[in-house]
Amino acid sequence: MIKVLKEGLFSTIQDSGRFGYKNIGVPVSGPMDQTSAKLANLILGNDESAAVLEMTLLGPTLEFLNDTYISITGADMNPMVNKKKVLLNETLLIKKGDILYLANSSNGMRTYLGIRGGLNSEKILGSKSFYKGITKREKLIKNDQIEFDLSISSPKKINRNFNDIKINRNSKIKVFKGPEFDCLEPKSQDIIFDNEFTIGVNNRMAYNLVEIIENKIASIVSSPLMPGTIQLTPSGRVIILCRDCQTTGGYPRILQLDKNSLDCLSQKVTGEKINFYLNKSL
Amino acid sequence: MKRNNIFFKVFNEESILIQWDDQVNLKLIDTIISYKKLIEQELLEVLIECVQSINSMMVIYDPNKINSEDLINTLQKLNSSDVKVAKSEKKIWKIPVCYDLSFGIDLEDMSTLNSISIDEIIKIHSLTTYSVLSMGFLPGFLYLGVNDKKLYCERKGKPELNIKSGSIGIARDQTGIYPQDSPGGWRIIGRSPISFFNVNDKSPCFAKPGDKIKFQSISFSEFNRIEKRKNSYKIKYEVV
Repeated sequence: MIKVLKEGLFSTIQDSGRFGYKNIGVPVSGPMDQTSAKLANLILGNDESAAVLEMTLLGPTLEFLNDTYISITGADMNPMVNKKKVLLNETLLIKKGDILYLANSSNGMRTYLGIRGGLNSEKILGSKSFYKGITKREKLIKNDQIEFDLSISSPKKINRNFNDIKINRNSKIKVFKGPEFDCLEPKSQDIIFDNEFTIGVNNRMAYNLVEIIENKIASIVSSPLMPGTIQLTPSGRVIILCRDCQTTGGYPRILQLDKNSLDCLSQKVTGEKINFYLNKSL
Repeated sequence: MKRNNIFFKVFNEESILIQWDDQVNLKLIDTIISYKKLIEQELLEVLIECVQSINSMMVIYDPNKINSEDLINTLQKLNSSDVKVAKSEKKIWKIPVCYDLSFGIDLEDMSTLNSISIDEIIKIHSLTTYSVLSMGFLPGFLYLGVNDKKLYCERKGKPELNIKSGSIGIARDQTGIYPQDSPGGWRIIGRSPISFFNVNDKSPCFAKPGDKIKFQSISFSEFNRIEKRKNSYKIKYEVV
């Protein structure tokens, strides 16, 4: 069991997501930076879809009530176990009573905590991933207790060193043309690829960009969306949809991020700059 | 199914968008429903899920099991094949709605905008038989069509921050039901006391695309009476 001593800014349990319910409007969810979440599981020899804790900008303080093994990946929140600094991307042995401190992240937005065997929480519609209106919790709060597998088998030996793996801090965001891209005026198409954009308000649903792109495309009939779809609103606001995004929408879908770029975007903080590159190979 | 008005587009590394170049209509909804069933029946091995909309559908698949080119070929073949799918039973659901001004917060504005009396709005709305066109936006949010022309109304310029669960709204030619408290820009004309989405049910949402909905006007006291037992309230229906 893990007890939440301090809740941090915004932490959620995420497994690989909720499949088969998009048709009734339930988003897939799942980790924002899937590369880092999978790495956390890989290090421990877990199934790659095992439930991890996703922590945003300022991490929680957690007390372990049982022995286990953990791994920490993604952004560096200067993790410490009992005031002693520990490394990212390592198997860490945790003893009953140990306290894990996670501070402000210094190089990204999201950090992942993997636990040997995965976290145990209520499965709703086939997934443990937190989502408002579906799971009881939207985020972790102080005094929450999270269960995990107590049959403490040591992690599978993996003959690979993960220490030099860094999170993707590239500013290049690769995109495919969306279904309504060709409806954009050539001038607006050029603006997208010739300019730098700034990350604005963002959360697990979407990243908004600060800059405006002139939009003369009429709204479309409400149509399916995917994480990574870029919508352009009538007022020219650019919205990049993320893992908790709605399943359908009526704004033109001008671009679609590729998988790696969506993971990369998930580590960006407000104010960071990005550039779009057209990915032609699909 | 005609072949000349359907387009297949690779959307990303794991999804294909199927788009119908057709006016939005109820026949198209039925075409999409049976095509979706056929895909689910024939492509079970490679399919993750199909997301159906009003004139398009997203086919999400496992790229480790099939590539996009082969999948599009298969989808095209299925579209022109004669394989039949079992028609599922369609229901007409009876949804109680209280059109009191305290719930229908935009009734007065709509009455002014459309030069129509509030009584007339309620009468037209509760006499129309709606079809479930699609679900999305929120878990269990129903897009229903189509409104009588006299009720046509654009979304509000500035969305409300907190639309209450059960609210019935109007946007252009569609009516929508809010299954949970949420921000929203639809013009709210009433509220239903029942619950529309239950995560603990095997089928969390009562209706499915293709079903019909009729709204039944209830009084304020009836609203309160039903709301008190909303968790055990069984939505009434007829089979078409």
